Amino acid sequence: MDNRGGAAKVLTFLGERWAVIFLLLLLAGFGLAERNFFAFKNFSNILYYATIYALLAAGETFVIITGGIDLSLGFVMGFASVSSSIVMRDMHAAGRPEAACLLVGAAVGLTLGVIPGLINGVLVARLRVPPFIATLGTYGVANGMALYLSNGFPITFLPPRAQKIGNSFLAYLLPGKGFTFFHRPEGLKSKELRSLIGIVPGTVLVTAVVLLVFAFLLNRTRFGQHTYAIGGSKDAAIRSGINVPSHLLRIYILSSLFAAIAGVLYVFRSGIGNFTTMSASYELFAVAAVVIGGASLMGGKGGIGGTMIGILILMTLENGLNIAGIPTFSRYIATGLILIAAVVIDQLTPERKAGGA
Amino acid sequence: MSLNRKSSRPARWLGRNWAFLFLLLEVAAFGLLGTNFFSPENLQNILVACLPVLLLAMGETFVIITGGIDLSVGFVMGFATVICAKFMLLLQAAGLPPGASIPLAALICLAIGLIPGLINGTLVARLKVPPFLATFGMYGIAYGFSEIISKNTPISGLPPIAGELGNEYFFYIVPGKTVSFLMKPQDLAPEQMRSMISVLPILVVIFFVFVAIFAFILRRTRFGQHTYAIGGSMDAAVRAGINVPVHLTWIYVISAFFASLSGVMYVLKYVTGRADAGSARMLDSVVAVVIGGASLYGGTGTVKGTIIGALIIATLETGMVNLLIPSHNRYIAIGVILVLAVLIDQFFPELVGRGE
Repeated sequence: MDNRGGAAKVLTFLGERWAVIFLLLLLAGFGLAERNFFAFKNFSNILYYATIYALLAAGETFVIITGGIDLSLGFVMGFASVSSSIVMRDMHAAGRPEAACLLVGAAVGLTLGVIPGLINGVLVARLRVPPFIATLGTYGVANGMALYLSNGFPITFLPPRAQKIGNSFLAYLLPGKGFTFFHRPEGLKSKELRSLIGIVPGTVLVTAVVLLVFAFLLNRTRFGQHTYAIGGSKDAAIRSGINVPSHLLRIYILSSLFAAIAGVLYVFRSGIGNFTTMSASYELFAVAAVVIGGASLMGGKGGIGGTMIGILILMTLENGLNIAGIPTFSRYIATGLILIAAVVIDQLTPERKAGGA
Repeated sequence: MSLNRKSSRPARWLGRNWAFLFLLLEVAAFGLLGTNFFSPENLQNILVACLPVLLLAMGETFVIITGGIDLSVGFVMGFATVICAKFMLLLQAAGLPPGASIPLAALICLAIGLIPGLINGTLVARLKVPPFLATFGMYGIAYGFSEIISKNTPISGLPPIAGELGNEYFFYIVPGKTVSFLMKPQDLAPEQMRSMISVLPILVVIFFVFVAIFAFILRRTRFGQHTYAIGGSMDAAVRAGINVPVHLTWIYVISAFFASLSGVMYVLKYVTGRADAGSARMLDSVVAVVIGGASLYGGTGTVKGTIIGALIIATLETGMVNLLIPSHNRYIAIGVILVLAVLIDQFFPELVGRGE
């Protein structure tokens, strides 16, 4: 494979970077076709809605790099969302201070949300259940638990502050007047209020921090190296002294933790706790983003950066189609098509090195 | 594997037949706890409840035997319900009598329902896309199309005769009086009405015919042999002269066919079409096949096992209704059963290949 022609090199280049190119084309296309697409508010919106998907996809990235799969993410998120909001609601009803309700609720959601991951990890790492089956089992169980706890209805009557925090911005800009951090400027007239611009939604900020921390973990630490090593070759990882079962256990816990963070974020953003419906298909969007980002289900490849490009493609597409007035559900079709296209492109791209990683 | 130790004969027997024993235990438990669980009506309800799972699981059995997986079955089923219901409306509006519009709509739906399977098969067999991802893509595509076609609302206004077909029985027996065929006897006193026994749901008869045909194909024909051969070793199958790409394409078409059958069944039973009709059923179908003893690595699995798996799920569903347990708790039970089934297979590794 050393004496390849220039054409093959170009193909390899395009094949490896098609996602970025596609994202740019998408932005340019929607920008030309729709007047309001490039509005600041619209981009802020894309990011606002991307947060939950980005968190789920980040967890999925870790799992897929090890050569596994986590189908339970979406329902773990619903389970965490329901359990944390029930605690918030009940403490609020009992007259506890709002801050305490929110903190304890979030902590409970994150703690309980990790349990499915623990079970997944034990099943996959210790009992050698195929990841697909183990996480399909927790997919059922987490979904059932969320429905059991919520009785099939959204959890409401949460402390009103939850939604206020979840929809706050890092900074507020009032054109021609100045800006404030974290809090809306007080005593504004309704006309001024309408021209108030929020910069960087708080949920986006939280998500970005979480993602940066875990991107660092994956790229720069021994934990990350071991993750890639296990995905590259499990045998080699064992022989080089990595404790594979305990590492895999931590990977599945991490994946559930991401889903739990997404669930708690959901509660803060919407002010209610909700279970995940069977057709919400969060797992589809997460897996699609990871695969678009260049990961292979065989393991050993992928990264947070690539996954985020995948998420941006999916969310930009959704936003653009929405503005164009195309039915919302076409995003399921688009996501399915891009997922398949990503795999086919990966299949057809000439490898840089024979058997390259 | 460290678990691979010699097991005694009773243990091996238990490992081989645990699914059937579990089904018996389940029936016994619900029979003890429930009211009228063993009434002919309830037992037949179990058969009806097992249909959607069984039909999806039939297709999934073929796919899993070849070592693949079809995640799209649930949403292809929803897609089929929407297509079938939509065409019933269209044909009805075109002035066709229900006697013609219902079977015609069902046939059109079964034909259109093959398309997702053809695409899945082409992706897996020709373009070498891993089955998991190809059918995962189709999962989104089928769901998106059905939501758009149904405009995000269940399709209603279907000919009521469809529902009669879906909920009637072949025989109605009033003890000491009459046996009537297909039609409920008229002019019954309320007392007689209560003692009437209905036998053989029409739906069960119609759809078990398909199950029987494909059970025969899997067990007794060359097509079935090749299916096991591909799952056992794809390389060996290629070397033995089997046209693997063509065969695999057929397998995914069969899977979509059964998903569409399940969709037609849903329309006849509930007289509506909805995009999320089968969204909970993908899990069920995989569970039924795995309980039935198939390995995800391919090469093993039987229709008999799948039927037992589907019955376990249907008994659970019916029993929970009987005990007035909220139906969403079934997901917990089914998830646990799935993991248990795989663990039992891990603990009795010498049993991989049971039944074949």
